[in-house]
Amino acid sequence: MPARSHFRWLLSTRGRADGRQQHRRGGGVLAVLAVVLLVGAGLLSMPGMPAAAVDQSKGYPGYCKDDKGVTVVVDFGELGGTALVRCNPSTTRGTGLDALKGAGFQIAGTQRWGESFICRIENRPSAQEELPITGNAGYRERCVDTPPTGGYWSYWHAGNNCSWTYSKWGVKNRDFVPGGFEGWSFSLNARTGAGPVPRVAAVRPGTAGQACNAADEPAPSSNDPKQSQQGTGGSQPGGTAPGDDKNSADSTLPAPKPRPLTGDSAPDPSANVEFSGGEDAPDVNQVLKDQSDASDYAPWVAAGVVVLLVLGMWLTGRRRRHARDA
Amino acid sequence: MPARRLSTYFLARDLHPAAWWVWALGLATAASRTTNPWLLLTIIAVTCYVVVARRSDAPWAMAFRLYLYLGGFIVLMRVVFRFIFGGAEGSTILVRLPEIPLPAWAAGIRLFGDVSAESLLGGLYDGLRLATMVICLGAANALANPKRLLKAMPPALYEVGTAVIVALSVFPQLAESVIRVRRARRLRGDGAKRFHALRAIIIPVLEDALDRSLQLASSMDSRGYGRAGKIKPAVRLVTGLLMIAGLIGVCVGVYATLDGSTPRFLATPVLAGGLVVALVGFRTAGSRVQRTRYRPDRWHLAEVVTALSGIAVAVVMFATSSVDPTNLNPSLIDLSWPALSWVPLIGVLAGLIPSVLTPPPEPPYASFDDEGDIYAHTGSEVPA
Repeated sequence: MPARSHFRWLLSTRGRADGRQQHRRGGGVLAVLAVVLLVGAGLLSMPGMPAAAVDQSKGYPGYCKDDKGVTVVVDFGELGGTALVRCNPSTTRGTGLDALKGAGFQIAGTQRWGESFICRIENRPSAQEELPITGNAGYRERCVDTPPTGGYWSYWHAGNNCSWTYSKWGVKNRDFVPGGFEGWSFSLNARTGAGPVPRVAAVRPGTAGQACNAADEPAPSSNDPKQSQQGTGGSQPGGTAPGDDKNSADSTLPAPKPRPLTGDSAPDPSANVEFSGGEDAPDVNQVLKDQSDASDYAPWVAAGVVVLLVLGMWLTGRRRRHARDA
Repeated sequence: MPARRLSTYFLARDLHPAAWWVWALGLATAASRTTNPWLLLTIIAVTCYVVVARRSDAPWAMAFRLYLYLGGFIVLMRVVFRFIFGGAEGSTILVRLPEIPLPAWAAGIRLFGDVSAESLLGGLYDGLRLATMVICLGAANALANPKRLLKAMPPALYEVGTAVIVALSVFPQLAESVIRVRRARRLRGDGAKRFHALRAIIIPVLEDALDRSLQLASSMDSRGYGRAGKIKPAVRLVTGLLMIAGLIGVCVGVYATLDGSTPRFLATPVLAGGLVVALVGFRTAGSRVQRTRYRPDRWHLAEVVTALSGIAVAVVMFATSSVDPTNLNPSLIDLSWPALSWVPLIGVLAGLIPSVLTPPPEPPYASFDDEGDIYAHTGSEVPA
């Protein structure tokens, strides 16, 4: 009698004895979780490292004083805010990312590409900032996927006394030039050929007027976003078209024209925008906390709720078992 | 009659399965929007508590533990993969493994090498999010009766629905088989360990699964499922194609709508197109399926409350991600404890409502109380 046995299975309570064990084991797993949470919350309350917006323990404000380190220029462009110039006095070779971090800047990479694709420098654009991107007004940078071509951090480099060059490589795939410059400029609705060149000339004080001598770099051979900058390209790691794979349909920006590097001299430093060394920039972690209405108590409450629920599971499971057995 | 309605509200009965599915999908949607471990752990705890409080003693309800294991496995794999395929994102290096050099054509792939705390945490958060979603779906499977879900399907969805529900109930069936075979082994005093024990469990379970499938097939056959009737093969083919294409479109569209990182052209256009195609398919299918329903499940107040609480969690998370998005995806660049704000936390706690404001499930054997009426009561009616 297939039909009847089918229904007997429907109503089967054969798993009951083991169901009791399940209550207990599920509770056990969650109890462990709860302990982990409590320990975690305890650690949370320990005094953490003081983090400044610009990590003053790394690098120093202003241009590099000699030709060993690399000067990093961050121009917020249309986001607003004073540009930052700091030096990474590293004498060992390193990538553009090392230069940025070594100069003390606090950055955020996208979840998808990690630090290969920098989406925020000094918490700009923050998750709350609405970017007036053409065709995507009110865009907010969530730092989850590749930023759109209308609003991204463009990556530049220059030798001392040279003009800025849009990097063909991603930030992790080229080495900074000792004595040279690394530039970051926020590109908002950049027009063709008018890439947002960092508005601080790549000239160390006291060296003005000297000749530019920077070696050209080979172009990246693959479209791997981890290797090339978006928009060699478009923005940092990106394919051959300006824009990431996601937005390639609506990206109309062609790649900035490759320019010969050698001999192209820097603009007059007197045209620089106002900049600072970021000495009095606010603490990024504090800014984040203020922006998000985060509460010191909320994680505790979350941990407490989880513990209470685990306790409740145990009690409810026991009560229901007793009721069933009665 | 409000007084009477109030007194019958908490009478033991099984809720409409669709209400549980809406609730669980709401929580899963909320989980998909965040990688904040505090929120994800709270969602898991809320889900587990509601399951413990409101599941029945049916075999599918007993499979919930397996979803928890599956969630743990997902988290573990995500973290292990960060060890294997390069976890050097970030500067806090925990372990330095020897890196295996790869040929040039494998550029971009890295085997072993430095492993940083940031990348491990990234794997943990990401895995936790997927695990939470899996656990939410497990909760729906544990709380909702799949057979009654099939019964509640609109006639147009009848063919696709049958296949989906049979597929959905495979996992709980296997779980129940494992539990049963293990218990039988224990009763026989068969204490063999390790490999032999594995064989002694797997073979009966597979055999059991085969038997069950045949039973299910014959019982469905005897009830008229899969009956082609007098419809032309060409019409059936077109209907099937329309429905499947439409449903795939709907699935892709819903996924793209919920997942913020999917291209936008896959979201609304595909969803709308899929809906249209599916509706055309439903119309042609529904016009030829004639079914009657014996004692259909009804949506009462408790069902509405359950569904609304799930929707509320999802809505709060969507609202937060446009108003206060900072903490939903905690930054991993500075190694710090993820911060949390009140609104999403309280929103997630709204998912607890069904553990209190729903009637408890019908106790086992209630259907057997009046002998001979087994077929009428399969666990949904309020006992008189």
